[in-house]
Amino acid sequence: MRVLETTKLSFAYDDGTTALRDLTMTLDDGEKVAILGPNGAGKSTLLHLLSGFRMPFDGTVAVCGRKLEQQSADDIRRDLGLLFQDPDDQLFMPTVEEDVAFGPRTLKLDDIEGRVLRGLRSTGIEHLAKRRPHRLSHGMKKRAAIAGILAMDPRVLLLDEPTSGLDPKSRSELVRLLKSMDRTMLIATHDLEAAAEIVDRAIVLNVGVVKEGTIRDIVTDSKVMEEVGLELPAISRLFKELDSMGYPVEALPVSMDQAVAELTKVIDRVGRQARSRGVTKTAGQKKKT
Amino acid sequence: MGIAEFVIVLGAVLLLTRKSLNEKDLPRVAILSAGIFVAQMVNFPIGGGTTGHLIGAALFAILVGPMLAMIGMTVVLIIQALMFGDGGITAFGLNALNMAIIAPLAGWGVYSLMDEILGKGLKSARIISVGIAAWASVFLAACAAAAELAVSYAISGGDFGIAATVSIPAMLGYHAVIGVGEAIITCGVVAYVWHVSPEFFIRAMRSSEPAPGWMHVARSIPVKAAFAILFVFALLVPLYFLYSSEGADGLERTISEAGVEEGEQVLAAPFSYGETYFGMFFAGLLGFVAVAMLALSVLRIFRREQTKSRGR
Amino acid sequence: MIVLHVRTGQAAGHLDEHARSVWFGKLDARAKILGIFAFVIAAALLTDPVLVMCALACALVTALLSRLPPRHLAKAYLAALPFLAFASFSVFLFAGFERGISMLARTSACVIALLVLATGTDTFELFSGLRRLRVPGILTTLLMLTHRYLLLLSEELDRMRTARRARGFSGGRSLLDVQAFRVLSNTAGMLLVRSSGRADRIFEALKMRGFSKDMRPWRETRIAALDAAFMLALVAIAASLLLLQMEVFP
Repeated sequence: MRVLETTKLSFAYDDGTTALRDLTMTLDDGEKVAILGPNGAGKSTLLHLLSGFRMPFDGTVAVCGRKLEQQSADDIRRDLGLLFQDPDDQLFMPTVEEDVAFGPRTLKLDDIEGRVLRGLRSTGIEHLAKRRPHRLSHGMKKRAAIAGILAMDPRVLLLDEPTSGLDPKSRSELVRLLKSMDRTMLIATHDLEAAAEIVDRAIVLNVGVVKEGTIRDIVTDSKVMEEVGLELPAISRLFKELDSMGYPVEALPVSMDQAVAELTKVIDRVGRQARSRGVTKTAGQKKKT
Repeated sequence: MGIAEFVIVLGAVLLLTRKSLNEKDLPRVAILSAGIFVAQMVNFPIGGGTTGHLIGAALFAILVGPMLAMIGMTVVLIIQALMFGDGGITAFGLNALNMAIIAPLAGWGVYSLMDEILGKGLKSARIISVGIAAWASVFLAACAAAAELAVSYAISGGDFGIAATVSIPAMLGYHAVIGVGEAIITCGVVAYVWHVSPEFFIRAMRSSEPAPGWMHVARSIPVKAAFAILFVFALLVPLYFLYSSEGADGLERTISEAGVEEGEQVLAAPFSYGETYFGMFFAGLLGFVAVAMLALSVLRIFRREQTKSRGR
Repeated sequence: MIVLHVRTGQAAGHLDEHARSVWFGKLDARAKILGIFAFVIAAALLTDPVLVMCALACALVTALLSRLPPRHLAKAYLAALPFLAFASFSVFLFAGFERGISMLARTSACVIALLVLATGTDTFELFSGLRRLRVPGILTTLLMLTHRYLLLLSEELDRMRTARRARGFSGGRSLLDVQAFRVLSNTAGMLLVRSSGRADRIFEALKMRGFSKDMRPWRETRIAALDAAFMLALVAIAASLLLLQMEVFP
């Protein structure tokens, strides 16, 4: 089922700068899609527009079959969970637990206690329930913010730069968390590496759509990578290097899983070659003697 | 007295804004209150090693309009008094009246009037209006504070407040100087904000919807501004009367009770000074406001006629 | 001066978690607000020096019984002392020694009682207590939001101040120092512009979660016997002080 659909979406700010141009995209139920692009490409604007905070725009947006308009915006927001780039913006209650409970309470949802507990548990911060948000580390703030969104049980998660400002450990923890979550997601990021771990499909955005496809399609298109200033993931760089050193790589891996698979193949192949070479060598030696 | 006036005014403001309050204004006023609170920590040099700090009432009012500014300043003061154990707790009512009602109202009123007089839209003119408004807000609040202290001193026979001899020259003199710093900073901030993010002002500048006939005049910004200033004086006038009549007796009693020998002189000096000074001050300002209001309404009607005839 | 307040406020932030563990901190906020305010109003109206001293003693006893860290209370009181001393001194100058002293005692009693309330109550609970006492929701919601973002903004200002100092700005000399004022007003302006941007985002975050104009706490406390007893005790003290005063001066 289509949960999100935009057609010919364009948006310009009050001062006339175009933020989005002719953006047509879809998001199916259960799909995880990344919006990749440099700073100022319109990624944040897109997420905020989808949430109904950038009116008026040209083109159409439909969320779960409903058209986004001024009147429908409040209803549509119930299906969306927006993670802000700065978690401080969305943690306004005095304790983590109160904050997680805020959404379900104002929306008058049932079983608030259970929702809070599930939200905290699935982000792994049950022990922080009574703590004050402004005393948490940045990574924990992000988790608390995600817990607050999950407690409302939205159809789609819109994540704005989820990995920005995190130290390496909390970043990889967050990536693991997002990867394990079975939810529809739209992730705006310039962290190609993290996106490669989480998503199935990506859209490269630079005001307009530059390219759409799997992360591998994008990574191998050096023209696109150059144009939007994206960096190749470290793993892909490593394999490119291996490739040029004489270890042919079938499909350039972009995530850890793919890399492991690819590396076993390479090792296998090299091992096989070495063995066969070894066999011919010993055979030759035997001939000499 | 002070707290009663404050609660009544704040109640009225809350009632008025509750209906018209845009949902979007709520976090805005909250964060700006926090911003003003923090901006008050910016110390500016006065000279001779002393520093003053921003009060920000006029700035707040210019940025978000008088109603929201009054609520916002109240929030700032409550947090200051309660959370940070300020000595202002004891005089909270009066302090709140001065800083959260009189200062923003006066600042906004003076600003809007000056802006109208000096010509709308001109950048330099607007900055001058901002400066004068900031100075006036500090000075008028100080006038109110001095008068209140003197009155409560006189009424309570010396148990509360501070004597007029101390409070009036000290408060007014000091704040006339502080006001200059406030004016400069406020101008700087407004110029900066205007330069960096002009959309900040859109809401505050937004004029009300056109209404027919006299309602149009009553709703126009200069008239509202004039009302704001008149309202400030209306708040101060009872203080003035208390000060000049009962207050005098109270003060007299205190001084004779306390056995001050030169009672006559002490009494004579501030009061002859105080009465004429305050009298002239109020009369002059009231007159100014009345004339300005009249002139502006005439100007407005005249302008409207002009555009009408031009339209034909 | 205000910097000092925020510092003590930050300390109070650490204390917030401590405050909840003391018996006074666990009392219902409404009971505390009503009791303390009754006491403060009564104390502020007292004129008889003996009764004023009684009020001060009551305030001190409350402070001791509350088991709040005395050092913190003392620090906060010292921050308020200059104001009290100035007022008392001018009373002393114009109305004599005795009145000066009782002015100091009266204001101290009020300030100490309020400090006990403010430091012994979680800030947010204090505001939600006010909300439940029918203070308009606009005001309490604003108070909650302002308080939440105050520390964030003051940290921002601190960073800007450090950056300023790193580039050799020392604070200026006088009102005529144009450069100093330009720097200072740009700092304040930048702070306001940033906070305006943050306000827009917070609005969106609030809307994303269905917010409409009022903020209430989820976990609400109830008034139990202890809360009621505390409140009634303070109200009784306040009433008896006032009654004593009226009998002395019919």
